[in-house]
Amino acid sequence: MEKPALPRRNFLSTITLGIGALIAAGFGVPAIAYVVGPALKKAQEGEWIPLGSTGKVELGTPTLFNVAVERKTGWIVNQEKISIYVLTTDGRDFIAMSNICTHLGCRVRWIADQDSFFCPCHNGVFDAQGAVLSGPPPRPLDRYEVKVEGDKLYIRGV
Amino acid sequence: MATRLANWLDERVHWQGVWQAVFLRKVPKVNWFYTLGSATLFVALNQAVTGILLTIYYVPTPDHAYDSVQFITQEVTAGWLIRGLHHWGASAMVVLCVLHMLRVIFYGAYKFPREVTWWTGVILLVVVIGFGFTGYLLPWDQKAFWATTVGTRIAGVTPVIGETLLRLLRGGEELSAVTLARFYGIHIWVLPAALLLLIGFHMYLVIRIGISAVPKRGE
Repeated sequence: MEKPALPRRNFLSTITLGIGALIAAGFGVPAIAYVVGPALKKAQEGEWIPLGSTGKVELGTPTLFNVAVERKTGWIVNQEKISIYVLTTDGRDFIAMSNICTHLGCRVRWIADQDSFFCPCHNGVFDAQGAVLSGPPPRPLDRYEVKVEGDKLYIRGV
Repeated sequence: MATRLANWLDERVHWQGVWQAVFLRKVPKVNWFYTLGSATLFVALNQAVTGILLTIYYVPTPDHAYDSVQFITQEVTAGWLIRGLHHWGASAMVVLCVLHMLRVIFYGAYKFPREVTWWTGVILLVVVIGFGFTGYLLPWDQKAFWATTVGTRIAGVTPVIGETLLRLLRGGEELSAVTLARFYGIHIWVLPAALLLLIGFHMYLVIRIGISAVPKRGE
């Protein structure tokens, strides 16, 4: 009798190995995806945060808005209060600036007499647009994206 | 090349003898019911792998347990699959254990010389039920909470020691953070350790004694 190219015993062990490899891959691939998944997830674009009516913004003077935002990490949601200065010169174009000093994170304040923002910690000074006038801050005040819908003002984190 | 490497390793660790004993041992001609034990072992392996993966995101405290489970199911890539496998595997585990046990009973395989194998199997069944009971609480939803409330209360009606037993299980008067933490500890450390030891012994005996043949009429 001629010897078959693939004897029955080898055929069975090959099939067994093959099925075993399939099962291992069936567990392995989802397992790897599961472990690395959240690490590869890009920070999703933030939602538009409603600030309030555009009418509250005084022409030419940065106006302070306080809002609460939600930050989600994993399954934990944190409420955070942020303060934003909004400036408009014509009532149509708005810029929204964070009140966090770009130096070491203290809160800046608009001093109307001096026409500039002052940071109490290390005497950083910014102009109405947020550009650095003097002191240690390395860059202008951080800005938010601004959207106007009707007379409602919205911002989005950058 | 592979053969040479295998031989080199065999001269040092003698794995071929073990391989021979485990996978190439002689077995009597039996039927498909004799695969139920292997099926149980496979599902146990599934529970171990998916269980370990679940611990990567699950947090066993009342303020995070439910949310972390929701996070796994809805947001983690393939999280629904891993949790699903663990969830359904748990039920499959109990079903297969019982079917395997029925096979052993109906074919009389628990008799001499396999009594010790049978005893370890009985303890294994208790361990599996323990897994089911402690694992049921971990999602920390309404069903989990009330099922465990009822389950521990059942232990509480035991004569004389009932009250103590209930307090021991719950870690206090009420079902609380303490209960969740101890159920988690039992579920992922105590029971797996017991399962591993018992399965090891159970399988050693199966291989050492050999499996029983299908009994013949009149035997």
